[in-house]
Amino acid sequence: MAKLFNGLLGIGVALALGGLLMLVQGYNPLASYGALLQFSVADSYALATTFTNAVPLVLTGLSAALAFASGPVNLGQPGQLLMGALAATVGGLFLDLPPLLMVPLLVLLAMAGGALWAGLAALLRQVFQMSEFIVTLMLNMVADFFTIWAITYPLQDSTAYSPMTPPIAQSGWLPEWGDWNSAVVWMLAAVAATWFFSRRTRAGYEWRIGGQNSLFARLGGCPVDRNFVWVMLLTGALAGLAGGLVVMGGPHRFLRGLGANDGWDGVMVAIVANNSLPGVFLYGLFFAAIQSGALGMELITGVPSEIAMVLQGVLVLAIVASREALQQVTARLAVRRRALERRA
Amino acid sequence: MNLWTGLLNGAISGATSILLAGLGGAFTYYAGVFNIAMEGMMLMAAFCAVWGSFTFSSWVAGLLLAVVGSLGLALVFILFAVFLDTDEFVTGIALNLFALGATTYLLRQSFGVKGVYAGSDIEPLPALTLPWVAEIPWIGPVMAGHNLIVYGAVVATVASAWLIFRTRFGLRLRAAGYNPASLDSSGVSARRMRVYALLVCGVLCGLAGAFLSLGYVTLFSENMTAGRGWISLAAIILVGGNPWGVALIALLFGLADVAGLLLQSYQIPAQFTAMTPYLATLVALYFYARRASRAIRGRAAGFRDE
Repeated sequence: MAKLFNGLLGIGVALALGGLLMLVQGYNPLASYGALLQFSVADSYALATTFTNAVPLVLTGLSAALAFASGPVNLGQPGQLLMGALAATVGGLFLDLPPLLMVPLLVLLAMAGGALWAGLAALLRQVFQMSEFIVTLMLNMVADFFTIWAITYPLQDSTAYSPMTPPIAQSGWLPEWGDWNSAVVWMLAAVAATWFFSRRTRAGYEWRIGGQNSLFARLGGCPVDRNFVWVMLLTGALAGLAGGLVVMGGPHRFLRGLGANDGWDGVMVAIVANNSLPGVFLYGLFFAAIQSGALGMELITGVPSEIAMVLQGVLVLAIVASREALQQVTARLAVRRRALERRA
Repeated sequence: MNLWTGLLNGAISGATSILLAGLGGAFTYYAGVFNIAMEGMMLMAAFCAVWGSFTFSSWVAGLLLAVVGSLGLALVFILFAVFLDTDEFVTGIALNLFALGATTYLLRQSFGVKGVYAGSDIEPLPALTLPWVAEIPWIGPVMAGHNLIVYGAVVATVASAWLIFRTRFGLRLRAAGYNPASLDSSGVSARRMRVYALLVCGVLCGLAGAFLSLGYVTLFSENMTAGRGWISLAAIILVGGNPWGVALIALLFGLADVAGLLLQSYQIPAQFTAMTPYLATLVALYFYARRASRAIRGRAAGFRDE
């Protein structure tokens, strides 16, 4: 209940501030928010767009939330997403199998690509005790430049004017049903599997306990070091999956700037959801709705669609602030109640 | 100008923004604030600098607005992390992402472009020729002809070291991080010291951002800080916040930057040479981690002997 209230409060504050910003710059906030709703959830096409946009956000959000809740500070979602997308693209360029084999294979390749990149950070941490926090951040930049190089030189589509790869084999394209892309199914499956793993298996329990109190987990007999590596690999695979699905569901090739903000958006989603997995799913959808609705806003009232990024940033700050403020208020109330009880 | 002076000149330019942000971070590091918002502060400052310089056709206005923009983010950080007691890590990440979103939006809103604005109507920082410096053999050609903020960074390094280690303010600052309870009980508010540290950090990151967009290059592009704030954080961690150490590490990163440019002339693709500062950070981190683990092992051996 408190969580719901807190979320709604944060969203309300963020939307109010966003409206104020639009008002100051001479746009009509009500008409703009109307357009945002219309283009994000009003009809089947809009809703389908929102769900498709949500795929990378929810998956990188799951990655970040699972990592933060288990202890490792994996901030490498942007880089792991890119490496996953690159792995899927390479698979799609050089292989051509029947779709029933091809799609799962590319999905696995994408997960392997992301896991590899996260695994590199885990390795540096395990062998040299290098903090994964900074290592994953630096590897993001390295992955960024590496993928640009890959699509500019070895994998370049020579007929294109800007750096991009040729399209992947058609058997690797994710099937679409009307407006709905089957990437959404993969996302839902990943949400369900991650939740089941975290809440219903022993390893998932060990990870959560390790995140809350590493010493307790170690004394209780959890293999803390081994779990660290597995957390990094799995969360890397989730971010890599996001990249693979973006390639296979959308442009069917690796373009420059692919998934540019998705990784960081996922980190934001995890932060506002306070690392809860169902929360990641809901906030991921909400962020995606803002992003698809913002394009409609630009069309109708002329507000630059980049306002979506401002709204997201304000939303994160507002929710974090209201969460802490609420906690302080409840703590203070509890103290006062206890004082009253003692006096009585 | 021979190769070496060119190299060192480039290294100094490459190092300046990391040095300034790192000095700002050093203040918060000593005050016990886990401040990772340097990246966002710098980015916001870089945008405000270009906007101010463009709008008022004056680099002074750009510089002032850069500091104001960066301070604005610092104030939000203060409100959240110091007064609302939010998680510093979460607040920092949120602020960085907010700065990225806000500058991208404002770039589109103010200049009507996506990605980059590089008009000729942005007035860059003037280069300063200090006559007596240029005449010093060896050092002269390297140190002369930089812009204002480069010399500002040199002054800031000396001033930071003096402030942190030689003044009452610095003592209280370090106490705020080392043992806030005892600082509070001696009648000085640790919270207030953290506020001061974050304000200083805001000013220094403002200068760092202005240097990036009005000195290093004369343009603003989306996410143009490109991880420099994180590198400065790594530098702070590596040297434990010491301003002289931060300066040394920043220079090393500047060298890595230039070395990347040099490698480009050997047919190595630009994408790989652009990785050098980030790879250099990883290498530096490796040496730091090795030293730290050796120290722990040494202490453990000491315990066994007793």
